[in-house]
Amino acid sequence: MGLDVWSLVVLFEAVVFLVAFPLLVFGWLMGAKGKNPIRDAPFESGQTHLGEARQRYMMQYYPYLIMFIVFDVVAMFLFTWGLAFSSVSSSQNYLFLIFIAILVAPLGYASHLAGKREFW
Amino acid sequence: MTSLQAAPALQEIISLLLRIITSRTFLQIVFFPGFLNVMLSAALLTWLERKVIARVQLRIGPLYAGPSGVLQPIADGVKLIFKEAIFPELADARLLMLCALGLMMLAFAPAVAIPFGEGFVIADMDVGLVYVFAVMSLFPSVILLIGWGSNSKYSFLGGLRSLFQQVAYEIPMWFSVLGIVMLTGTLNLTKIVEAQQRLWFIVPQVLGFAVFFAAALAELERTPFDLPGAETELVMGWMTELSGVPFMLGFLAMYTKLYVMSAMITTLFLGGWSGPGLLPQPVWFLLKTFAVASVIVVIRGTFPRVRVDILLRTGWTRLLLLALANIFVTVALISLGLDWVWRI
Repeated sequence: MGLDVWSLVVLFEAVVFLVAFPLLVFGWLMGAKGKNPIRDAPFESGQTHLGEARQRYMMQYYPYLIMFIVFDVVAMFLFTWGLAFSSVSSSQNYLFLIFIAILVAPLGYASHLAGKREFW
Repeated sequence: MTSLQAAPALQEIISLLLRIITSRTFLQIVFFPGFLNVMLSAALLTWLERKVIARVQLRIGPLYAGPSGVLQPIADGVKLIFKEAIFPELADARLLMLCALGLMMLAFAPAVAIPFGEGFVIADMDVGLVYVFAVMSLFPSVILLIGWGSNSKYSFLGGLRSLFQQVAYEIPMWFSVLGIVMLTGTLNLTKIVEAQQRLWFIVPQVLGFAVFFAAALAELERTPFDLPGAETELVMGWMTELSGVPFMLGFLAMYTKLYVMSAMITTLFLGGWSGPGLLPQPVWFLLKTFAVASVIVVIRGTFPRVRVDILLRTGWTRLLLLALANIFVTVALISLGLDWVWRI
């Protein structure tokens, strides 16, 4: 059968679904059911829980998150370059190497700042 | 009268079904490189992990179910199916079940593109490498969703840590395989394996291999980078509030991921299915994959856990610089004219 690549992926995922979903239903049917306010409380190491976990959290390591966004784009460009490496002339390839070398300086400074405790 | 007329139609349907079931595509999807292979290997890895960790800690491990406890995963599975799935009162039970199901399907998805031997690949994609990475990068989001749906502090902190982990490992991981892409000029995993017939990529790409292995440990959330599920701090991390079948699916998804990631390391750096030829190709592939998985398991038994900030700093200074250095090494190799070794 000459199926194309993505329909094969869909078929494979359908097989996984057809095994995993009945398991969920079967487990729900077979498992005991009941209400118990103590057992149904969120786990907080045996303490009475303090309510919702959906509250404000301190988002640390913010500089790393910004660097991630920047380097995600760089990774995209580098992959297109790497794929076309052998078909691009060597002088233009060296241009890209210079680009990577220049990239290291701001990367070093950014990770130096990100490593400082007062910027966490 | 009607049964006589229906008979030919029934025969046609049966013969069509038979043709579908005996077709190569169906057998591949359900049995060998497909579902059953991945499922059984993941189950075997749970047993292997318990056995190896037990040896490291001078215990014996699972013993009674089957020869040296090899049927223990099945016993565990049956136990978990018949257990009650407890959801906390503040949690979103439907979201948790959906996420467990999604995690399982995500964990299996990369296996489609991995070649287990010549012709033993379900979908021979031209973008196989990118496809595997794209699917792998979805995990932290689903894990964060499980943490959110659990509405429990431990789960949510585990989900957040999973996200930080992705920030630390993903860029070095992408950069570490760039050398292979440059040497082969393709993203097709089958062609990447074929390019390694003369020499495995672990030799010219040893820096890339080191970075990829460390990033894979972080990706798999395994010691020394198992922060999202750190037992001593977060109980069971994002899995804290899962129980019953949802827990089983999440647990199985993690071991499937271990299997798939070991298979990726084998494919990219250890020559894939290539071997001395004494055994069939898929046997070589499975031997290498389980060897890599065993190393990852032994690392769990021997190394302590790192802190979040150390993981982030290591990822952004050490790993990323090594991966960039690997690109320069690769360019030097190609400039010296040594890349004929990996031309197909």
